Amino acid sequence: MDTLSYKTISANKATAQKEWVLVDAEGQTLGRLASKVAKLLRGKYKPSFTPHCDCGDNVVIINAEKIQVSGKKFDSKNYLRHTGYPGGQRVTTIKQALENHPERVIQHAVKGMLPKNRLGRELFRNMYVYAGTEHMQEAQQPKNLDLNTLK
Amino acid sequence: MPKAKNAVASRARRKKVLKQTKGNFGARKNVWTVAKNTLEKGLTYAYRDRKKKKANFRALWIQRINAAARIEGLSYSKLMGLIHKADIDINRKVLADLAMNQPEAFKAIVVKAKQAAK
Repeated sequence: MDTLSYKTISANKATAQKEWVLVDAEGQTLGRLASKVAKLLRGKYKPSFTPHCDCGDNVVIINAEKIQVSGKKFDSKNYLRHTGYPGGQRVTTIKQALENHPERVIQHAVKGMLPKNRLGRELFRNMYVYAGTEHMQEAQQPKNLDLNTLK
Repeated sequence: MPKAKNAVASRARRKKVLKQTKGNFGARKNVWTVAKNTLEKGLTYAYRDRKKKKANFRALWIQRINAAARIEGLSYSKLMGLIHKADIDINRKVLADLAMNQPEAFKAIVVKAKQAAK
């Protein structure tokens, strides 16, 4: 590194040290997990954080169906969508969502916490969510990460 | 008698503006009525953002120092408090640079600041 350069250096594709981490969602609270994962994806835990560049980690999440929600939200949290036709509003409760597509609950939460732009969409693709303990990123040898150690 | 409009000067004036709006989107790059507004607005943005650049970089340095401080088990504000108490005169730009490129040096600063606070 050039020590005489007085410029602030940006990380880029070549210098960003992207790692693979494995996160266990069991017993984690949905929003708290999502915010930490979003920070991991953005690279905000790294001293080389660069806002315009994909410098975060790749995150593999397992046990998506064992995620917790606080308070009465397990009975009251709903996901609303609209078909576009009159009277076309549909409701999915978090209970149903966790039964049918447990990955989508975490995906939805994390997506909402990433920047809404091209880079944010790109970062979202660095996350892999699975129900159960099996995942398809064994070849990348993700490192186990305990989310409780992160702030 | 023909009307004199001074076409040479008008063309030169427009050309000067259109040259600067090259690379803009759609009609903004080559339609005179649109391009002249775009250029004017663009220059005001450029003026404003030359000032904002300083704040933006400071914000980025703080984010980086915060990330590095948390690796050492401190928060950004705790670290800054310690550094000021220890009379270490290093600005955020250099701290962020050290955190990113010379982690050992950054760590030494943290250790020194912690010792001075004791």
